[in-house]
Amino acid sequence: MRFATRAFLWSFIPFAFLLACSFWVIQQRVQHTVRSGLRTSLREAHMSMARLRQESELQNSRFLRIVAENPPLKAGLQLLLVHPKSASARLTLEDQLREIAETLRFDFLMVSNSDAVPLAGIVRIDDQLVAIDMQRMKPPQQGLFTLGANTYQLNSFPIDSNEENIGILSVGKRFDLSEFGTPTILAQNGKILRSTFPNASAAELEATLRTCGDQPECEAQIAGETYMTLAAATVNFGDGYNLRYLQSVDSISHPVQGVVQQVFLVATFGALIAAAALSLFSSRSIVRPIAAVVSSLRQSEATGTLPSLESNPATIHEIRELIESFTRAASALQESRENLRQAYFEFIGSLAGALDARDDYTAGHSRRVSEYSYAIAEALNISGNELEVIRVGALLHDIGKIGVSDSVLRKPSKLTNEEMAQVQQHPSIGRRILEGVRGFQQYLPIVELHHENWDGTGYPLHLSDVRVPLCARITHVADAYDAMTSARSYRSALDHEAAIRELKRCAGTQFDPEIIKALLRADEAGNFARNTRSTVPTLRLVPLPRVTVEAS
Amino acid sequence: MSMGALVFRVGLLALFLAPCLRANEIEGTISIQRRLTKRKVTSSADVYQRGVAVELRSDKDQDPLAFERSHVVVYLEGNLPSDKLTAELNQQDRRFSPDLVVIPAGSSVSFANLDPIFHNVFSLSKSKSFDLGNYPKGQSRTVTFPKPGVVFVDCHLHPNMSAVIVVTPNRWSTKVDPSGRFVLSGIRPGTYTVVAWHRAAGFFRKTVRVTETGITTVDFVIPLGAEGVLEQARQ
Repeated sequence: MRFATRAFLWSFIPFAFLLACSFWVIQQRVQHTVRSGLRTSLREAHMSMARLRQESELQNSRFLRIVAENPPLKAGLQLLLVHPKSASARLTLEDQLREIAETLRFDFLMVSNSDAVPLAGIVRIDDQLVAIDMQRMKPPQQGLFTLGANTYQLNSFPIDSNEENIGILSVGKRFDLSEFGTPTILAQNGKILRSTFPNASAAELEATLRTCGDQPECEAQIAGETYMTLAAATVNFGDGYNLRYLQSVDSISHPVQGVVQQVFLVATFGALIAAAALSLFSSRSIVRPIAAVVSSLRQSEATGTLPSLESNPATIHEIRELIESFTRAASALQESRENLRQAYFEFIGSLAGALDARDDYTAGHSRRVSEYSYAIAEALNISGNELEVIRVGALLHDIGKIGVSDSVLRKPSKLTNEEMAQVQQHPSIGRRILEGVRGFQQYLPIVELHHENWDGTGYPLHLSDVRVPLCARITHVADAYDAMTSARSYRSALDHEAAIRELKRCAGTQFDPEIIKALLRADEAGNFARNTRSTVPTLRLVPLPRVTVEAS
Repeated sequence: MSMGALVFRVGLLALFLAPCLRANEIEGTISIQRRLTKRKVTSSADVYQRGVAVELRSDKDQDPLAFERSHVVVYLEGNLPSDKLTAELNQQDRRFSPDLVVIPAGSSVSFANLDPIFHNVFSLSKSKSFDLGNYPKGQSRTVTFPKPGVVFVDCHLHPNMSAVIVVTPNRWSTKVDPSGRFVLSGIRPGTYTVVAWHRAAGFFRKTVRVTETGITTVDFVIPLGAEGVLEQARQ
């Protein structure tokens, strides 16, 4: 995973999570508040409705008290009290009750004696006033009374005559649930009698009643909606009757909740987008300097130079420190690499010196060949790494002589064919020695091919003209020059001019003419073999690591 | 009763003899300009299903003014010969039937209950107050009215039941027919006071002179007659 993605996710996900959580909590809180507010207003509406109802019933009861003062009714009651068994007397009273009921539109009228024993009564069924058979029915004095498909709400008033109570008049009105406005259910002993509640079976409503029990207010789920039910506690119905209002909380709170939800959804969405943008910005602001550092490091990796602080746009303290420490580490590394390189060159120099020191006559040979080769290469406008390869390669060109025995090398007389063959092995030996050494591959052509002639008469591969690499050809010329200007046990050294003449003579046969020309150019410019022997020390001292050797 | 029958026969004889005795008639009309009675009666529905009480005027079959006219009583004042009768005033369909009875003083009225329910008959009138109590179907009670006067009869159990018994001082009395005409016959020549009575409008008196020949005519305009004097209905 990229660092930018990681930074983005790590800042965005907790942010988003926190945001979503807090919005959710707030929304729940708001919804709860809204719901409870609605519930309160619902309850108050019901309360005021109940109060109104109570008031109207009080009014009603005043009026009904006057009805109980009806003198003919009293006369009728007294008649029935005098003739309790008389059907005619009961008929008279029922007839009177009918008249009152017709005049005042009552649905139920009943007269009881002072011991609350019902004597006669009539009830309106299908708009017919029918006498109640008191042998079979026992209507209560107060509360609800169900007869067939109708339920009546009864109220009772004393009938007094001359300050003496002679009976009770019960007046009933058909109990119509539709008056309540809200869905209402009427139950008796847990059984639904009437309901103005749509879309719910009696069983569901009975289950609701069971869960609510005697609580004046409770919430219930009916048909997947939340309903608040309020017991109509203001009216005492008695006899196991239970009247409850039902009001859908959902249907009232849904619109409000919908708005709340919408608002919070939009807010959450907006906040998440803002959080995403912020996270993106912050992750980018974190990553940008790092990316700049990385790109400058890449660049420095490609160019091999150290990243420069000034060119970096990073102004953040940590990033600057990172770059600085990286630069420090890189420069330390470079320094140590340089040291290593130096040590390596010094090692090679001393190796070559050691090689040359095997024979007095060849002392300083490798160093000189290196210097001559360098001068010729410069004259050929070679520079950079190639020039360095030529310098070091020339220094190493005779390394294969390690594998040639001292007796052959130091032999003062002419070599036998066998010994000559052994000496001619040294380029191949040198190649084998350096082949396995990492980083020395570039010197192999010089080591192996510095005895190849221009006309292909050299050894070991008998290559001719440009098939021999330029560096090997240069070293070949330099080697020949140094051999000629050095004394050998079997001859004295040629002077410079003689050696040049000899080189010129062999140009085009043994040597590449172009290189001879370059040598001549260098010589004319005074850059070639000026007092080399006297001015340059034979062997450079190599600084060795300090090792303490314990004297035994 | 035999005494009464004798009196009745004597009365009839007198009526027969009246033309011979040069007796004459008073006839006249009652005109009523507007409705005077506002009564509610229970509609004559089945006793097991009482209907709503209807107002009289809403009964389209009956001319309200004819009803008013038929509830006017005309009689002569004065200490004149009288008869003793027995009239019937039944209780049927929660009404007194008839609701207006005219009898000479000393007559009796029998109140029979023909309804399946109890009724009660009572009166608080000055000339005769009585309470016959509650009694069921089939029973009948009789009351004698010795003094002339207007007796209002009511029922304790049914306040809309109401009847009037007009006890007149002599035998010359009659109810006006619905068209407003009345005839009092067999009157000897002389000066008489003719009284017209209506429950709501009260008493109206007119003095007439009955001659030997010719029919005396007297017309009443109720309630605003020329000599009309409004009296309290319950006086």
